[in-house]
Amino acid sequence: MTPTSQSQHMNLLPEEDLLNFILADLKRTVREYTTATTESSCPSVRQMFTQLTDSTLQLQGQLYQLMSSQNMYSAPSKASRTEIDKKLQEAQQTQQKLQQFTQQRTSQFGGNVQASQPNAQPNVGNRTYS
Amino acid sequence: MNASQMQPLTAKELEYISDSISNEEMLLKMTAAASAVSQNPSVQSVISRQISAHEQHMNQLIQALSQHQPLAPAQAH
Repeated sequence: MTPTSQSQHMNLLPEEDLLNFILADLKRTVREYTTATTESSCPSVRQMFTQLTDSTLQLQGQLYQLMSSQNMYSAPSKASRTEIDKKLQEAQQTQQKLQQFTQQRTSQFGGNVQASQPNAQPNVGNRTYS
Repeated sequence: MNASQMQPLTAKELEYISDSISNEEMLLKMTAAASAVSQNPSVQSVISRQISAHEQHMNQLIQALSQHQPLAPAQAH
């Protein structure tokens, strides 16, 4: 084996380590793109960072799926039904209290707020974002 | 990109774009290194698509800089 072909087969890092680095860096980059989006003032810059966030999320998801299918990444342990039940009950209690809170505070303004539609988004189309 | 939506870049936006270019550079280098290392066709296929995506991200960021260049004041305020 010639020195050149030896060096071609001697990798500085194994494949799995490299993919783990890339996965970690994709996660970090998604966070930075999200922050950049929220800190953008120019609508076209915000639109670009939104697209880059979305695209990088897709890359991270694809790489995770690949690594998972190749047994290079062990997923965290599964949550038990008891744990989910506990969190669900707590969340339902919070939701009930929140409904009362919202109703009490909005009724004095004629009850015109969409308290029964927690997912309704107010119109924020013309706001600045910085 | 809609030209009417273009405002001069803030100093913060410029920093984020510049940091993003560095991030994409590192991701591109690491992904290219993984491509050189891997013998696995499934990995090669995903990696090669990711390289194209990072090249496209880099183009988008550079294009944003170039499109905002004429709007910038000569001196910082």
